[in-house]
This record gives sequence, C-alpha cells and structure tokens, in this order.
Amino acid sequence: MIDPITGLGLVALMGALATIAGAAEDLESDVGSQSNPNSQVQLAAQMDFPHRIFNKAISGEPPAYGLWCAAGATVASVLLAQNMSVIFAIAIGSFVGAILLGLYSVTAHMGRTTSQKRFKQPIYMDMVIGHLPPIMGHGYIAVFCIVSFSYIMDHMLGHPFPLPLLAFLWGITAGAIGSSTGDVHYGAEREFQNQPFGSGLNAAQSGNIVRKAESGLRNGMDNVWACAKFGGPVTGLALGFTVFFDNWRSTVFSGMNAVIAGLIIVLILILANRLVEVQARKAYGPYKDEEGGTEA
Amino acid sequence: MSTAAGGPATGGLPPNTIIAIGVIGGLAGIYLTMLNQTFNTTIFSVMGGIGSIFAVVWGADAVRRVCSYGLGTGVPSIGMVALGMGVVAAIFGLIIPETGILPIPAILGPVISFIVAALVGLIIGLLSNKVLNMNIPIMEKSMIEIAGAGCLVMMGLSASIAGSFAFNDAILPSVVSTGYIAIVFIGGAMTILHPFNANLGPDETQFRTLYVAIEKAALTMVIAGFASLTAIDAVSAALTVLVGLAIFLVYFDKFMKSVHREAYKVVGTGLLPSAEELE
Amino acid sequence: MIIDPITIALITLGGALIGLGVHFIPVGGAPAAMAQATGVGTGTVQLAAGAGLTGLISAGYMYNFLATSGSFTTSDLILVLASGAVGAMIMITVTMFIGQLVYVYCVGVPPVSAKVDKDPITGDIQDIYVSQGTEGHGVPTVSFVSGTIGGLFGGVGGSLVYVQLMEIGNTPADPAVVALAGIFATGVFYVNAVLASYNIGGTIEGFHDPKFKRVPKAIISCLIASLICAIIAVPIMGGVS
Repeated sequence: MIDPITGLGLVALMGALATIAGAAEDLESDVGSQSNPNSQVQLAAQMDFPHRIFNKAISGEPPAYGLWCAAGATVASVLLAQNMSVIFAIAIGSFVGAILLGLYSVTAHMGRTTSQKRFKQPIYMDMVIGHLPPIMGHGYIAVFCIVSFSYIMDHMLGHPFPLPLLAFLWGITAGAIGSSTGDVHYGAEREFQNQPFGSGLNAAQSGNIVRKAESGLRNGMDNVWACAKFGGPVTGLALGFTVFFDNWRSTVFSGMNAVIAGLIIVLILILANRLVEVQARKAYGPYKDEEGGTEA
Repeated sequence: MSTAAGGPATGGLPPNTIIAIGVIGGLAGIYLTMLNQTFNTTIFSVMGGIGSIFAVVWGADAVRRVCSYGLGTGVPSIGMVALGMGVVAAIFGLIIPETGILPIPAILGPVISFIVAALVGLIIGLLSNKVLNMNIPIMEKSMIEIAGAGCLVMMGLSASIAGSFAFNDAILPSVVSTGYIAIVFIGGAMTILHPFNANLGPDETQFRTLYVAIEKAALTMVIAGFASLTAIDAVSAALTVLVGLAIFLVYFDKFMKSVHREAYKVVGTGLLPSAEELE
Repeated sequence: MIIDPITIALITLGGALIGLGVHFIPVGGAPAAMAQATGVGTGTVQLAAGAGLTGLISAGYMYNFLATSGSFTTSDLILVLASGAVGAMIMITVTMFIGQLVYVYCVGVPPVSAKVDKDPITGDIQDIYVSQGTEGHGVPTVSFVSGTIGGLFGGVGGSLVYVQLMEIGNTPADPAVVALAGIFATGVFYVNAVLASYNIGGTIEGFHDPKFKRVPKAIISCLIASLICAIIAVPIMGGVS
C-alpha cells in the first residue's frame, strides 16, 4: 500500500482525468450524433426532413468506448513492454484509438446514409471530412484520459486487472454514463429547439429536428457548441464523481468502513435527487388541472 | 422479409454459403497457425487473423438476418451476448484437452470450442424464444451462428497474437495475462455487430454490409498484430499488421465505391434537397 | 481437479442476481433521450453493464487486497460482495442524479412516471405532470430507489461470479487467473443482462412497472444460462496451470 496522502492525491488526479474524459466523451457523441438521440437524425430523413447532421451509428456508446479504450490500452501496453515512457505510450495508444473511432465513424455515417437512398438524403463529402477531426479530437482526449487513469489505478494503486482489461471496463462505464446523461441535452433539447421549452418531445413531432442554424444549415459543430454549455460538463462531472467517490472511499477507509462510506454517498444522492424533484415540481407545476388530469 | 433476407436484387450470397465460408475459413485459419510449430517459426500467425476475418463475415451476416426482426434492444446487445458466450466456450475448448480429464488430443481444441459455443448458443436461443416468448423464428439458428462465429473470431485473433492455439503454453501468458483478451473480446464483438448497425436502413445491401465486416475485421487484425509484438518476433507481427492493412485498404475502397454507386447522391457540398426534389 | 457443486451453484446465483438487477434499473431506451419516456435515456444492457462492471472493478480491488494478505474467509467474501455492490450503486446513483439535473435544468421537465398515478414512495401525484405526447420523463423517486436496488443486485451478482472463479484456482496473485476471471465475469454479465433485457423488451421504469411481473421468466432463463456458463467455466479455472 502507498501512503494515504499520496493515495488521495492520485485519486484526485484520477477524478480530474475522469471529469475531462467524461466531458470529451459526451461532446464527441454530440459532434457525430451517436447513441439514442441519433434515432431522430435517422428518422428525420425518413419523415422528409433531409439534413446535414452526421449520422454516427457505430453502436451504443459503451461497446464503442470499450473498443477505443481497449485498443488504446493494448497499444500502450505493447509500447510500455518495449520500455517506452508512460506518457508517450499512452499518447500513441490513444491516437490509435482515435483513428479507429474515425474509421468506424466514416462507415457508420456513409453506410447509414446510403441505406436511406429512397428518402433522398444526399451524402455531403465536405461534412464527412469536416466532422472527422472534431470527432477524433474529442475521442482522443477521452481515450487518453481514460487510459491514463486506468494506468494510475493499475500501476500505482495496485489494481490486479491488467491495463487493457481495466481500460476496457472503464470505457464501458464512460460510454454508459455519457449516453445516459449528456446525450439527453442533445436529444431532448438541442435537436428540438423548434419545440416549446419545458416539455418532453411530443411523439407526433418525432423526426422533426432543427435543420437550420443561426446562419446556414445546422451541423454537428453547431450542436456541440450548444451542448458544451451544459451536457458535456455535467457528463464529465458524472464520470468524475463515479471514479473519485468509488476510489476515495477505498483509499481513505478500509474494510467495512469503506462500504459504509459508499452507502452514505448513495443515501445523500437519493436525498439530493428528491430535493431536485420537489423543486422541479414546484417550479414548473403540473401540465393539466388536477380535475382534468386523469388521462396520461 | 424486407431487405435482410439475402438481397437477391444485388446478387446476395445465400446464408448456407456464408456459413460454409465462415466455418471452414475460420477453422482453417486457426489450424494453419500450426505450421508455426511444424517449421519452427512464427510467420504463420497471420493465418489466425485471416481466419478471424472469415468468421466475422459469417457473424455479421447472421446478425444481419436476425436483426431484421425487432429485438427491442437494438443491434449491439446481440453481439455482446455472442461474445460473452464465445469467450467462455473458446477457452473451455482450448484448455480441456490440456487438463487431461478427458482423453482428447490437443489438436481437437478449436473444434470442441466451436461445438460448445454452438450448444450454448442453442440454449440461449431456446431460452429467448421458449421462456422469454420473443417468438423470432430464426432466433435459435442465429444464436448458434453468432456464438459459433464469435468463438472462432476470438480463437483466430488469440492464435494470431500468441502464434499458437495451445492454451497453457501460448494463449495464457501472451493473450490472457497481458490483458489483450479485452481487445480480442470487444474487437470481436464490434466487428460482428457494427457492420449491420452501420448499414441499417431500407436500402441496405448484403455486399456493402459484408465489405464493412471484412474491413473492420482487418483493422482488428492490425491491432492484434501489433499486440503480438510482445509474444512473437517483430517480422511475424509486422506481417500480420501489413496483411491486415492491405485487406483493410482494398475493402475500404470497395465500400466507398459501393457507397458512391448506391447512395442517392454523393456531393462535395450543397444545399438540402428542394421540396420538388423530395416529391 | 474437483468440480465443486457449491461453486457452480454460487456462480449460477450470481448470474440470476444480475438478471434480477436489470429489472430494477429504470431505463427508457431511445425515447427517454428525447424526454419521451420515464427513466435514464440509454439501453438496459449498457447501463446495467456500466454499473455492474464498475462494481466488478471495486470488487476486484478489494478481493486482491484481502486474498493476497492471508486466507480468504466468509466475512471477507461478504466484504468483497458489499464492495462490488457499493461500487455499482455509486455509479448508478451518480448517473441517475446527473441525468436528472439534465432533465430538470436543461430540458425543463419535472421527473414523472406515466405507469402509476401516485409515486409509491413519496405519494406524489404523477399523471398531471406528464407533458403532452410523452410517456413520462426524468427519474422520479420510486425509479431512483429502484435503480439503486438494481445496482445493488448487479454489483453483488457480478462480484459473486468473479470471487467464485478466483477461489477455484486459489492463486489470487496470478495475473493470468485474475484476467481470466475478470473477462469471464464480464462475459457472464453480458449474457445475463441481455437475456433480462430481452425479457422486458428494452425499457422498464422500475419495480412499480407492470413489466416487472415478468421477472420470474428472466430468473429461470438466467439460472439456466448461468448454470451452463458455470459448468463450462469452473473446469477452465481449475485447469489453469
């Protein structure tokens, strides 16, 4: 065991890396439009709303990030075994992960759009070329941070799993958090700014996504610009909290105390959620009168 | 059956042909790595990677057939369940001759893995249809195929990293202990589930989906080749990487050509289609 | 080499717990990402996997710490399982809470369930808070608590599978055994999570959802599937030299 102060410092560093990773992960999925909100991008062309938004249907975010992180960590481990310095090894590994992400993005966007031939959705090559660098750039930051904190966990805090396996598992968690939190900003708000604020998307409006920007036609870059103001940072917060709390409790406390500390964190979150719920109900009020509100 | 039953309009390959390609190509690739031992070299590790490409083609085609029915959870989950079964079955088959509890020669390892994977797939398929009432007519068959293909992909990639499919001597130290099993697992899963997910839509064609499968499997082979640097010598690893890159380039080009041929329109840039155009 | 029936039984139990846990996790699938359905806006399998595998990371760390420092007792086992459970619970509660912040402060909708008239835990009236054309949105308290329970079961299940696999070889410091048990636990997790999510058709609000009544079918399926995985996996772990 390393001494507690160093341990806490490392845990804090991991939390910081995870926060950056989470934010970059979510923003990457907003530039390229991945995961659940992408169902609306896919639907739009079908409902006679052709668009200029990237359709990055690689797979769900968790397996995708599992792959980028596992690939990055694999390359990094090979380089580490050849005695390369840690930072360079992880940097080159993450670069390989980002290239994979770029290549998968191309086939996803072009494949899906081609399969929509009958809805007359054209493929714009400038869009493919223009979106790839931001996708790969955000992806690179996310993979680099995830592999880095996996490396800290593996080589400094003494986790038994080998680096590629640990990075793979954290990649899945990062993808799960990204698609659960920040993507809602993109899916429920940014894609549907033409709908009144303060309600969920009416199912009748499915596919009617915003296709025009402040000037010109909207694309992924406009979407990420908006989502970087809320969705991205809170996703970072979520992954950062998960990594930090989970490791903090087992670094500061030992044995059963670590479990109790974790349970207290969970209880606080349940109460905080209740506070937010009560506040939201009070602030927004019901959509219907109490008498006429029997039908859902 | 909409677009997914083999696409006769584009001259699609029938399922049985693809099954034959996958099983024979996959197993042949794995067994050809034995030439390494015969000639006391590691240069034939590349065959494992090539075998995995055949198996991926089969797996991606099976995903394509089953996912034309609504599964309720999207395409990726079926790929993950396949590899979840595949990883356990693959290692079981490779290790069981070496433990000596059953008198099986080690050479039969990959075949046992494959059969076990198919059996587990059959049971998962039966459970989905009979217990969970999913009522997808080809669920059992598809689960057998996807699990079998997943198992072959994992064995092929592992053999190409380790240079042999002997478990305790080769795969355990160079694939499992190092953690490269993670990239074999998720790389195999993504190459099987991504091609259909990436081409989903009413105008999907079998050839375009399979081009993506081959090209993505070749990319995974490149990573596996790089990982094999720690297990086998640099020349053999470089060969796996280069062959993988070559296959990737050829099939990426084929994919791009088919996109340019089949898409509604491929333009450099432009406005959205006008209202008259959409009529 | 001995094939221990208790080990197989415990791995099977772990798999069934994973399947049970998935039913508690409130996920709305793609519609929830557009605030069209109650729950977290992602897929069942992926959220369950994210939580369960975070638990697996915690449990692996705790197991390594306890098992390498001496003999591994039953109280140690409980500690490892609790550690895995808490790891998964932290991940799922943080995710649901941050998701809630996005729904409330970004989309501007109150958390509400469309499957029940009153929240069974807080007693709040639900139906009048559902916005037009949707089936609820956000994560109301009942779903939040349900999700926490789901994390608990998922974390315990995944950790149980991992610990039992590790105990067969009885060499906790061998990196090959650790990696093998880790990847097998991941594989078993995915098999059970996918079967469970096929059972609920991809979306569920929590234990108050009518779909939750289908849980026995999933338990049976997960028991059978995990039993087979266990029968296959146990000789492997025993055979690693």
